Amino acid sequence: MKIAISGKGGSGKTTISATLARIFAQEGSTVLAIDGDPNPNLGTALGASKAELARLEPLPSSILTEQKSADGTTEMKLSQPIEHVAAEYGVHAPDGITLLLGCRVDHPGAG
Amino acid sequence: MRGMIQQLIENTDQLTIVDMEASVEHMSRGTVRHVDTLLIVLEPYYRSLETASRMIPLADGLGIKRVFAIANKVRDADDQAAVNDYCQKHGIDVIATIPFDMAIAAADRAGVAVVDYDAAAPAVMALRGLAARIKAA
Repeated sequence: MKIAISGKGGSGKTTISATLARIFAQEGSTVLAIDGDPNPNLGTALGASKAELARLEPLPSSILTEQKSADGTTEMKLSQPIEHVAAEYGVHAPDGITLLLGCRVDHPGAG
Repeated sequence: MRGMIQQLIENTDQLTIVDMEASVEHMSRGTVRHVDTLLIVLEPYYRSLETASRMIPLADGLGIKRVFAIANKVRDADDQAAVNDYCQKHGIDVIATIPFDMAIAAADRAGVAVVDYDAAAPAVMALRGLAARIKAA
């Protein structure tokens, strides 16, 4: 299941995202939490420790690589398995949650 | 951002929760290509409801399978009625109502997750119900 949560600033979307993540994780799911907000604070809402949060950095654009598809368009693909990405850049939040911090990658033609 | 998050969502087998940018206007078809559920958080006041009603057709246009609204910070029956009236009129599917809950601000002040502050707080209980409904839907 892939769930995106959206809402105006101050609507409580981060608290809802974090709490849902914790609930699903407590119920036995292995949860990946992605902070896609330009003003990120999902980690705090998840209850990640200060030590973990201090390690949290935006994913570098180097984990993406441009690939030409059959129809001639280029697409950004992960340049390494997601397990490596999670191990290297992810930080731990309670209940076994992995938290990644998305970052802005501006490249024309994508999306 | 778009390429990055899209690739993460596409490549993971784990249950994934993405705290998105504030507005659906910022989302592209690419970003949400592998998202199966979009939750739009609204609050019981007119401008928030208006924003949500503008977001939902955009979200539908992005081709997401399930788009639900969540009414958050609902204080009383008047709040609930305002949400219900507006959403009924505008065809907005509200999957859950989360009550206004002092535990959320208190947890924030204490620097802990609200589930750790009070696992049985009313907002947390409502979110447990939401989690069950998302799983079942």
